[in-house]
Amino acid sequence: MIPVRHAVTASTEKIIQPIEPTIMSSSDMTIHLKIWRQKNAESKGRFETYTLDNVNEHMSFLEMLDVLNEELIENGDDPVEFDYDCREGICGSCNLVINGRAHGPKHMTAVCQLHMRNYSDGDTVVIEPARAAAFPVIKDLVVDRSAFDRIIEAGGYVSVKTGSAPEANLIPVPQKKANQAFDYATCIGCGACVAACPNSSASLFTGAKIGHLNKLPQGQPEKQQRVLSMVAQMEKEGFGDCSNYAECEAVCPVGISISAIAEMRREYLKALFDN
Amino acid sequence: MKLDSKVPSGPLEEKWDRHLKDIKLLSPNNKRKHTVIVVGTGLAGASAAASLAELGYNVKSFCIQDSERRAHSIAAQGGINAAKNYPNDGDSIWRLFYDTIKGGDYRSREANVYRLAQVSNEIIDQAVAQGVPFAREYSGLLDNRSFGGAQVSRTFYARGQTGQQLLLGAYQAMMKMVHAGKIENHTRKEMLDLVVIDGKARGIITRDLVSGEMEKWTGDAVVLCTGGYGNVFYLSTNAKNANVTAAWRCHKRGATFANPCYVQIHPTCIPVSGDYQSKLTLMSESLRNDGRVWVPREKGDKRKPGSIPEHERFYYLEEKYPSFGNLVPRDVASRNAKIVTDEGMGVGATGKAVYLDFRDAIKRDGRDAIEAKYGNLFDMYENITGENPYKEPMRIFPAVHYTMGGLWVDYNLMSNVPGLFVAGEANFSDHGANRLGASALMQGLADGYFVIPYTIGNYIADTDLAAVDSNHNAFAEAVSNSKSQIDKLLNINGDKSVIHYHRELGKIMWDKVGISRSREGMSRAIEDIRALRDEFWQNVRVPGEANYYNKYLEFACRVADYFELAELMALDALQREESCGCHLREEYQSEEGEALRNDEEFSYVAAWEFLGVNGKLETTMHKEELEFEFVELKQRSYK
Amino acid sequence: MPSFIEAAQSQVGRKILTGITGLLLVFFIIFHLAGNLTIFGDADAMNRYSMILHNLGWPLWIARIGLILVFAIHAYIGISIWWQKRKARPEEYDVYSSKGGPSKQSLSSRSMAFTGVILLIFLFFHINTFALGDTETVIIDGQEASDLKTLVIETFQNPLYAFGYTFVMILLGAHLGHGIWSSFTSLTMKSKKLSSSIYSIGVILAVVLALAFIFIPLYIFFTGGCGGLISGYDCV
Repeated sequence: MIPVRHAVTASTEKIIQPIEPTIMSSSDMTIHLKIWRQKNAESKGRFETYTLDNVNEHMSFLEMLDVLNEELIENGDDPVEFDYDCREGICGSCNLVINGRAHGPKHMTAVCQLHMRNYSDGDTVVIEPARAAAFPVIKDLVVDRSAFDRIIEAGGYVSVKTGSAPEANLIPVPQKKANQAFDYATCIGCGACVAACPNSSASLFTGAKIGHLNKLPQGQPEKQQRVLSMVAQMEKEGFGDCSNYAECEAVCPVGISISAIAEMRREYLKALFDN
Repeated sequence: MKLDSKVPSGPLEEKWDRHLKDIKLLSPNNKRKHTVIVVGTGLAGASAAASLAELGYNVKSFCIQDSERRAHSIAAQGGINAAKNYPNDGDSIWRLFYDTIKGGDYRSREANVYRLAQVSNEIIDQAVAQGVPFAREYSGLLDNRSFGGAQVSRTFYARGQTGQQLLLGAYQAMMKMVHAGKIENHTRKEMLDLVVIDGKARGIITRDLVSGEMEKWTGDAVVLCTGGYGNVFYLSTNAKNANVTAAWRCHKRGATFANPCYVQIHPTCIPVSGDYQSKLTLMSESLRNDGRVWVPREKGDKRKPGSIPEHERFYYLEEKYPSFGNLVPRDVASRNAKIVTDEGMGVGATGKAVYLDFRDAIKRDGRDAIEAKYGNLFDMYENITGENPYKEPMRIFPAVHYTMGGLWVDYNLMSNVPGLFVAGEANFSDHGANRLGASALMQGLADGYFVIPYTIGNYIADTDLAAVDSNHNAFAEAVSNSKSQIDKLLNINGDKSVIHYHRELGKIMWDKVGISRSREGMSRAIEDIRALRDEFWQNVRVPGEANYYNKYLEFACRVADYFELAELMALDALQREESCGCHLREEYQSEEGEALRNDEEFSYVAAWEFLGVNGKLETTMHKEELEFEFVELKQRSYK
Repeated sequence: MPSFIEAAQSQVGRKILTGITGLLLVFFIIFHLAGNLTIFGDADAMNRYSMILHNLGWPLWIARIGLILVFAIHAYIGISIWWQKRKARPEEYDVYSSKGGPSKQSLSSRSMAFTGVILLIFLFFHINTFALGDTETVIIDGQEASDLKTLVIETFQNPLYAFGYTFVMILLGAHLGHGIWSSFTSLTMKSKKLSSSIYSIGVILAVVLALAFIFIPLYIFFTGGCGGLISGYDCV
């Protein structure tokens, strides 16, 4: 049995008896965690530190948090809340900021696909929620990203009613164009771009949807209104300006290029001057 | 109870058109007066909500995720079938219909499946018009590929993210109607009960997952699009939040649950690495085109794969099925993996895996060619396992992937509770005992875009729907029901977590109601499930309180429902004394291990009616006989 | 449809204006440097250059007003972006670090607001020192002109000025290091290849400009204005 240490602050650790350990192997690591805890949007948050002694290198980062939660529950404490769903990197639910980096240290990887073999025995890991005024904290590491939905609502669609679509092959789309549109369409809406941006800008997210739809012939009729409305909504939600740090591209789990932001600006100018 | 499928008469090809001619219409003025509740925002839910709102209904939409776009349809990789016949390779609506019926091992309703094939083409048109970036050829026209062993290329795809792109299309269509004020959308709310008044579905109860508040919602019809129940196995390829609760609560309010034992198991998933494992990741089946499946011939052989000589390797699929080899259907591949690992020939630390080896393919085609084909999948495998599949064989194992069973619906996709419609994976209707690859996306969107919007109109036009308000007793009763269950769970304060019980339940289900099933195993499973359920209700520990965001409380409510569903699945599998599709009964197979279907006795849909839980699940089965007027029933053979 | 004023105030509009004004300022800086380098010309070169500029009349005033506008817009937007950024993230991260790779976060990019504000403050001192400073009158080509050259040389003999100026020019280099590339990016440069070339060119240009600016005060300080590169100054 390996004791699990749990402490409210780093200095006053208390020893708590562990529950039955998960599969033990020689590769088990000790990981020190410093996690943001916040009861709800209104209350002030603070960090709490925990130490896990049975972290297996094959665990995913989120499974490591599952194990922590099992132990917290066993000890009568509130588990750490964090968002997740598919755990295969496509739904965009998870969005932790780990040691100051959205989705952790690996490029092109959502945190649910991050594995503990990327850490070493004795590491300290700081986990914070995505911090942005437009993403208020719901609890602990869970934030409200509905601002993204409202940006889409403002114009991130093609207004085609069910049943009114023309034959699918009526309008050929050059393969290159289709691929460019696809590169933008892969956005999973996780919000890492906002979390990592020093200005908390949502330009990559917004630009990606504008880039996707405005590239395609199907997106042409509404393209002007789309970019103008979406940009206006993005500002209304309280996101910051883009200062071309390109940090968003670095943290994007699907690697969307900041050329999306250039697309957005270009489309905006075109919309302005066409009228 | 008489289950009337309401399949229109006439030739197969004309049934849907005739039905459309016959159904009643509502004028735009009248549609405006009606509210439809849509639960779930996956492909079926989002497409239904958008389409109904476009028609003029007031739609209230609910999902448990923080955004509609995160529903689990997003994770579908492969593609979506349609009978466009763009490649000119002889495909047709009939052939898509026939393949789907045959693939389902003749356990689905002919008329529903034919309609599915009929509207499949419109789905592609709709998606393309929405800006879904399907793969294209150099000509700029849409590309197709052959998928899941189909003899024609009828699968439209968007890289390995077809589900994501289709869902974003439907989600965007939905957000457009939110913007237009026709959809009132609610996220992070979970449906906990169906409100039935005067025998009709008239509303739902939800729990706000952030505030914990119980809320009442009234409507003239409820469309349930809440997906499948694969997570009853704890480990599956489903998203962690996918659950059966909404469907199960409807079942408890009278909706019959059909064919719960039909569960599809996907053969090529990344195996479990330890007890902490929370989910299984699927890798495309296309890997079996070039990879060779094997295990060491000797039991418990712990040597590294590279040092096991050729003659000590058991290429069991190639040996048993010489003509199909590694490309046997999903269920056959899965079953055989279980057989060899049960016999102790499994590989890896847990012994629950088999090798999928690319050594020979790399030798034959070169590493570059293999990398071009499977580079992404190899990277994903390496990221998860830390092993390099170019050098060592992959380890794979089957995992629960999709559930064909679900709430029983008629031709209109309405359950036996009037006003409760069920679409997508949540219903039982189109895939019989086994679903073909690239058909799940097709069905979800067919139901949501092209079936439900018509059939709901017919129901509303044809039904006396007196106004109800949320002060009705039925709402109060439903709220107090759900509340008292939550209070009960929070007050048990036992010493094992929800996850512990879910994991244990999953083990029972996987061992005895999983890939292969026996009378004895299932009888034991039923006992085990009951015992574990009792223990759960006495010893589970649910942390925190009900009045704030509390994920483990959500899980507890869902696991409570799984405990009941699990017993029903075992009962259903027990009564089905034949092997069909994904349902393999050990007693009913040929000497060579081929599934033996029994069309004489089991050509029916088993629809279960909930009566109560009293130590054991009290339930009664109703049969909807399946009649095959248009196709001839044949046995599968992959020898 | 937003009006042009509204569009200019949008996040896209502001960035595009920043890019345009930024590039104009880069041109101005290059022009200014060229003027500075006349100090190494013949004895009267710098004062002649200054005299010609002063004698331009109304075009000079247009240029001045234009320049003030460009500075004002650039500075105003820069400060408002910084302000909005503080509002957009009221609670800072306890730990923050860049993920590297395609990220363009650097000391240069992270300090744009700081370097910008210092440059703005410097600008007032700079104008006060040189444009409004007391100068002797000299006769060049038969006309009266101010002896800017002597003022420059004598100013930079003071270590406070020489090193203060040097420090600010290092900040200018830092500002341009991100700023040049960022201007192009704001003006919708998309191509990956072009972007990486512009980035390199931007950094090189920033370094060259800063070094060239710094060379003058340091040269004057260390030679007392009597080095071989400067002619026509009476060494004491």
